[in-house]
Amino acid sequence: MTSRLSRRHMLQLASAGVAAAAMTTPSLLRAQDSFPNRPINVVVPFDTGGYNDRLARAFAPFLQEELGQPLTIINRGGAGALLGHMFFMQQPADGYTILCTSAAPYLPLNILTQDATFSYDDFYMVNLPSQDYTLLATSADSDLQTIDDVIARLKEDPGSLSIGIQAASADLVNLSILADANDIDFDALRMVTYDGGGPARNAVAGGVVDIGLVGGEGFLPLREQIRPLLTFDRRQRDDWEGAIVTDVMGEDARVVVGSQRGWGLHATLQENNPEAFRILSEAIEAASKNPEAIAALEAQQLATEWYGPEESNKMLAETAEVMEQYLHLLQGQ
Amino acid sequence: MIELDAVSAAFALLSSDLSAWLYLLPGLVIGLVFGAMPGISITMAMAFALPATLYMDFLPAIIFLTAIYTGAGFGGSVPAVLMNIPGTSSAVATTFDGYPMARAGRHNEALGVALASSVLGCLGSYLMLFLLIGPVSGLVLKLGPLEMFAVAIWGMLLLGSLAGTYLARGLLAGAFGVLLGTVGFNSAGFIRGTMGIPWLLDGVPQIPAMMGLLAASQLIGLVNTTYLITDESARKISFGKTLSGIRLTFRFPWVIMRGSIIGVLIGAIPGVGSSISNLLSYSETRRNSDDPDSFGKGNPAGVIAAEAANSSSEGGAMGTMLALGIPGGGATAILLAAFAMHNIVGGPSFIANNKDIVYALIFSNFAQAVLLLFVGLGFVYVASYIVRVPLHYLIPSVLVVSNFGAYAIEGSAAGPITLWVFAILGWAMLRYGYPVAAAVVGLLLGGLLESNLLRTYQISGGDYVDYAVQRPGALIIFALMLGSIALQAVSKRRRASKLSAGKPE
Repeated sequence: MTSRLSRRHMLQLASAGVAAAAMTTPSLLRAQDSFPNRPINVVVPFDTGGYNDRLARAFAPFLQEELGQPLTIINRGGAGALLGHMFFMQQPADGYTILCTSAAPYLPLNILTQDATFSYDDFYMVNLPSQDYTLLATSADSDLQTIDDVIARLKEDPGSLSIGIQAASADLVNLSILADANDIDFDALRMVTYDGGGPARNAVAGGVVDIGLVGGEGFLPLREQIRPLLTFDRRQRDDWEGAIVTDVMGEDARVVVGSQRGWGLHATLQENNPEAFRILSEAIEAASKNPEAIAALEAQQLATEWYGPEESNKMLAETAEVMEQYLHLLQGQ
Repeated sequence: MIELDAVSAAFALLSSDLSAWLYLLPGLVIGLVFGAMPGISITMAMAFALPATLYMDFLPAIIFLTAIYTGAGFGGSVPAVLMNIPGTSSAVATTFDGYPMARAGRHNEALGVALASSVLGCLGSYLMLFLLIGPVSGLVLKLGPLEMFAVAIWGMLLLGSLAGTYLARGLLAGAFGVLLGTVGFNSAGFIRGTMGIPWLLDGVPQIPAMMGLLAASQLIGLVNTTYLITDESARKISFGKTLSGIRLTFRFPWVIMRGSIIGVLIGAIPGVGSSISNLLSYSETRRNSDDPDSFGKGNPAGVIAAEAANSSSEGGAMGTMLALGIPGGGATAILLAAFAMHNIVGGPSFIANNKDIVYALIFSNFAQAVLLLFVGLGFVYVASYIVRVPLHYLIPSVLVVSNFGAYAIEGSAAGPITLWVFAILGWAMLRYGYPVAAAVVGLLLGGLLESNLLRTYQISGGDYVDYAVQRPGALIIFALMLGSIALQAVSKRRRASKLSAGKPE
C-alpha cells in the first residue's frame, strides 16, 4: 500500500517538477533553440597581420556585441587564399563559421586559375566594405613628376622604366588597360614581379623599381616616401594627389577594382537555416553602422562602408567578369 | 643623433608607470616556453598574446610583446642544443655545434654559452638601434634584388663548411635543398613541382621539413642508444657548468661583435631576418677561425656565432619597423598590428613625433636582455633535465610534440605529413653520408636565391653587368665576400707553411 501510494506520489511530484522546470527556465530553453548559442568562428584565409586579419580583429568586438556570442578568428593562409576558402567550404553551413576575405581578386583567381573545387555560387557576400584600387606610384625622390612623364617615357621606349607589380593581380590588368589606351607595347614592358603587395611597395618607396602598381590602401603608411601618379578609380581616393583614370583615359575609361574585402557566408545557409542567415546578416549590418565601430576602424585605416549583400555580390560578379576577360594575363606568364 | 631631451622623457615615462615593468617577466617566460616548443614560432607566441594587449596601455602592451619576442628568440635554442630540433627557424645554426656539445656531455656549458650570447646579441642590437636608428633604416629600402641575391649567395658559402667528408655530396645535398626551396608559386606566377597538391603551392612547409630533416632523422638513428649522453658521469645538471659557459662566451668578443653586426644588418632587411643571419654569422665565424675543422663537432664559438646573430636580428627588425612602419617578418607584423589596435600608425612620422616612446622601448629592451639572463638561467637548468630521460621515453615524446608542433604551424595534416616525409629522407641521407644540414640551408635559401635572381634578370632586362655597375651596394657585398674568402685562403696557407716550417727541426 505505502509503496503504491508513494509511487503515485512520486510520479505526481516528478511531473510537477518537469512542469515547474519548464516554466521557470524559459530563458535557458530559448537560448538553446535560438541562434547563436555557442561561439562563432571567423575564417580569415590569410596569415596574421594582413588587411583581412586586421579587419576581422578590429570588427569582431562590435559584431560579437550584436550576436551575443564570442568570435574566434582562425587564420588559414596559403596558396592565394585557396586553402582558406577550401577550409571554409568544408565547415558545416550552420552559421557557426563565417568568412572574412578578399573576395576579389582571390575567389575569381582560385576558380579561374587554380581549379578550385568551389564556385561563386557557394559564397554569399553580406558586405564588402573595402574596395581597394590600384595606385601607380614612384619614389618620392624620383624624376618622374606626373603620369604624363611616365606615359611619354613608355611610349618612346616601353622598356625604359622598370615596373614593380604582382603577378596575376588586378594591378596587372590595369597596367594592360593603360598600355592599350596609350598604344604602348604591353609585352615589351620591363616588369619586375613581387610575391606580395608589401615587398612591391617597399621597392617603389626605395626607388629599386622606377614605378610600381600596387593596391593603394597599403601605401598609406608609406605616404611620405612615395609620389602618387595615377589612381585607378573614377574618383579621388584617400587624398592621393596625382591623376585619376578619367583624366588620362577619358570618361569611358575602364578599370578593375583591386581587392574587394569583407564578410561572407555559405550560400546554402540561406535555404538551410534562414533564421541563422537573417541573424548573421542583420548583425553584420548593425555592427557596420555602429558609430563606435566606424570610428574604431577608421582610426586603423580600415573600411567600414555598408554596401549590403545585393551591391556587394554584384560588384564581385562584375570584377569576376572583367578578370575572366583578362584571363591570359592572370595565368603564369 | 641621440636626443637627450627625448632620452630623459623616456626615463620619466618608464619610471612613472609601474605597469611597463610588470609585464616584462611574464612576457619573457611566455616567450621562452613557446619558443622552446618545436613548431611554435615567435610569431605564433606573439599572436597568441596579442588579444590580451588590447586591454593594456600602449607602452606596456608593446613592452609585453617585445618581451615575448626576446624570450622566444632564445627559447628556440634550447631544443636546438638538447635535441637537435631548431625550435624556430632562426636556431638552425645553433644545432650545428650546440647538439654535438650536448652529446659530448657539455650540455650545461652549451646552454650557458647560448644564453650569454643571446643576451649580449640582444643588448648589442638595441645599442646599435639606439645609435643608428635613422641612417640605417633609410638604406634598407634601397636594397634591390641584386643586393639580396648577394646576401643569399653569401649564405650558400656555408655549404662548403657543412659538406663534411665528401664535398660533392655536400653540394648535391645543398642543390637538392635549393630545388626544394623553389617548389610552389614563384613570384612571376608559375607553379613548379607541387604535384597537384594545393598545400605545396606556397612551397614545402619549412619548419616541419626542418624538424624532420634535422631532428626526427637523428632520433630514429638513436633508437639503439639508451641516453642522449652515453657517458653516465657526464649526465650532470650543473649550475656551475652553465655559469662557466657564460664566462666562456666572454672569451669570444669578436665572434659576438661580428654576429651582432650581421644580425642587425640582415635582421633589418624586410623578408630576410634571423633565419638567414644565424647561418651567415656561423659561416663567417667558421671561415675566420684558426681551426675550422673543429666546427660541427662541438665548438662553442659556433653556438655563440649563431645565437648572437639570431638575437640581434630582433633589434634590426625593430629598427625597420619603427623607422619605416614596415614589418620585416611575422613578429614585427604582430607588433604593427598592436600599434594599430592602439590607433597608432608606425612609420617615419611615428619616430619623429614619439622619440620618447621609441627610446623607452629601447631602454626597456636593455632591461629585458638583462632579465633574460636570470630567467633563462632558471629555464635552462630545468630544461637540461632532458639529458637524464632515457631515450626510449624521450624519442617518442619528442616525436609526438614535433607532430603537434608541425600540425599547429600548418593548421592541417600537411604539417605532420611533411615532417614524416622529411624524417625518412633525412634518415636516408644520413645513412648514405649526405650532410642533412646542407639540404636545410638550401631549403632556407632557395626561395630567396631564386626570386631575387629572377628579379635581377627582370629589372636589368637581361643586361646583368650594366645593372650591377649601377648598384654599388651589391658590388660592396660581393667584394666583402670575396675578401673574406681570400683572407681565409691566405691564413690557411700561412698556417700550412708554419706547420711545415716547424716540422724539419
